[in-house]
Amino acid sequence: MGNYAENNMRLGIFVLVGLIVLIFAFYMVGKNKSIFGGNFELKARFSNSNGLMKGSNVLYSGIQAGTVKSLKLINDTTIEATLLIDNEVKSFIRKNAIVTIGTEGLMGNKVIQITPFKGNSPLVKEGDLLESKKVASIDEMLQTLSRTNDNIAGISDGLRQTVVEINKSTLWKLLGDKAAANGIESTINQMHQASINANAFSKDLEMILSETKSGKGTAGLLLTDTAFATQLRMALVGIKSAGDHANELTLQLNQMASDLKKDLDNSNGFLNFLVKDSLMIKKLNATMDNIEKGTDGFNQNMEALKHNFLFRGYFKKLEKEKEKRKTIDQSLRIDK
Amino acid sequence: MKLWTLTEGNKEFINETGSITKFANRFFIVGMKPRYEFKELLTQCYLIGYKSLPLVALTGFIMGLVLTMQLRPSLIVYGVESQLPEMVGISIVREVGPVITALIFAGKIGSSIGAELGSMKVTEQIDAMEVSGINPFKFLVATRIISTTLMLPILTVLADAIALFGSYIGVNINSVTSFSLFFTQVFQGLDLNDLLPAVIKTFFFGFAVGVVGCYKGFNSNKGTKGVGIAANSAVVLSSVLIFIIDLLAVQIADLMGLNY
Repeated sequence: MGNYAENNMRLGIFVLVGLIVLIFAFYMVGKNKSIFGGNFELKARFSNSNGLMKGSNVLYSGIQAGTVKSLKLINDTTIEATLLIDNEVKSFIRKNAIVTIGTEGLMGNKVIQITPFKGNSPLVKEGDLLESKKVASIDEMLQTLSRTNDNIAGISDGLRQTVVEINKSTLWKLLGDKAAANGIESTINQMHQASINANAFSKDLEMILSETKSGKGTAGLLLTDTAFATQLRMALVGIKSAGDHANELTLQLNQMASDLKKDLDNSNGFLNFLVKDSLMIKKLNATMDNIEKGTDGFNQNMEALKHNFLFRGYFKKLEKEKEKRKTIDQSLRIDK
Repeated sequence: MKLWTLTEGNKEFINETGSITKFANRFFIVGMKPRYEFKELLTQCYLIGYKSLPLVALTGFIMGLVLTMQLRPSLIVYGVESQLPEMVGISIVREVGPVITALIFAGKIGSSIGAELGSMKVTEQIDAMEVSGINPFKFLVATRIISTTLMLPILTVLADAIALFGSYIGVNINSVTSFSLFFTQVFQGLDLNDLLPAVIKTFFFGFAVGVVGCYKGFNSNKGTKGVGIAANSAVVLSSVLIFIIDLLAVQIADLMGLNY
């Protein structure tokens, strides 16, 4: 009898443990699926449920907050989801919260995500309709990707065409021409040399400028020497004065020219006789002839004088000095 | 002649199917009527349920451990190693736990019932009970069928729990996961649609093991040789029936939309 009672005790424990495990399992599953405990309903409307199902999880800021109780088709473009939310979360969800349909992981089940929105708003009440936001689905992304691919194909076609045109063009031949390349290289070298020269020039210029600043050289003197500036000013004054005199002289010459012209016009004065009086010209010619004859006579007299014994010694001495000077000039040329 | 033999075999199969159905029907008609053999029922529950626990626990533990370690490389290939607890949880609770436990149970309990009742039959103890005014069907058959029907679900639940523990150890062999995180993930993946059909079908598994074991033992003959045949055929037939019931359960659950 004792053994029987003991067996019964063991059996009782066995059954109890089994039942406790079963109840625990039901409780845990039920807790996850919001079967037990207090909860309340919220609603959200979507244009596309994206595979959302009854019983799908609802997350509030990433934390399990409830499940989808039902999905109802309101009209051809609107689906209303009734969400069963734990009472524990009720005090955190505000009316401006945004509801989106997301995915657990990359390819997991669909879930509803409630995201709090900034700003003050009253807390939700039983049966409130929350604002939903459409999230880009994989299908939409693929459609966009397809359009992008088409665009890329178009661009690559255009690029190909451009490359073909470039291959046919003179530019491409020019690029393949070695002579042109050498020419370009030579030009570049020259440009390089020019740049070196320009560099040296700029250095020189810089040096000149620095020297000029420090008062060296003519320009420096010009720019910095105050005494020179005074002299220059005085020279300029002199030049101005000379200019004024020249101007005055010009005026006098003009006056004289106009007087002469007046004399010529009025047939007065010496110039008028010189230019217009033919008799005066004849007398001048006769005078010139007489002077010429006189000069010839004088030359003959001088020649006769050379041969005179009184003056012959003097003329020989002149001849000797002349010969001596010629010899000295020749020796100097040879030395050079 | 061969065709005749085949037809004879078919006839025997159909005949046996009918006999088992009648036997099960008799259980509902006779076995459920008072007076109830509570004492014998408790004894049988103890022997069938409690005594089977170590074997079921051991197989459950190994089952969970092995399943986890073998699933792991496949999940790593797809980069979803983190889903291991959920996947193991669903497979253990939905299918592996109930079916493996039921098969172990059929092997141990089906054979023992078949052999026990068979030996009682061939030694005419059942006839003696009838003579002494005790209804052998009520005392021997009903108590055993009820015991198997009630004990197998409890054994399955415990086996599931132990298998999940084995799975937790399996996960921790290659990586580190906390106990609470593992079980949270397991229950995150589970749904009532997973748990309820799995528990309900184990009642049918237990009933099938009990009915077949009792039928084979109760109808054994050919002396001591018949005892062995009864034990053996009880195990074979109850194992086959477990798979058939499992198939039906899946189909019915599918029709009821419980597989989603």
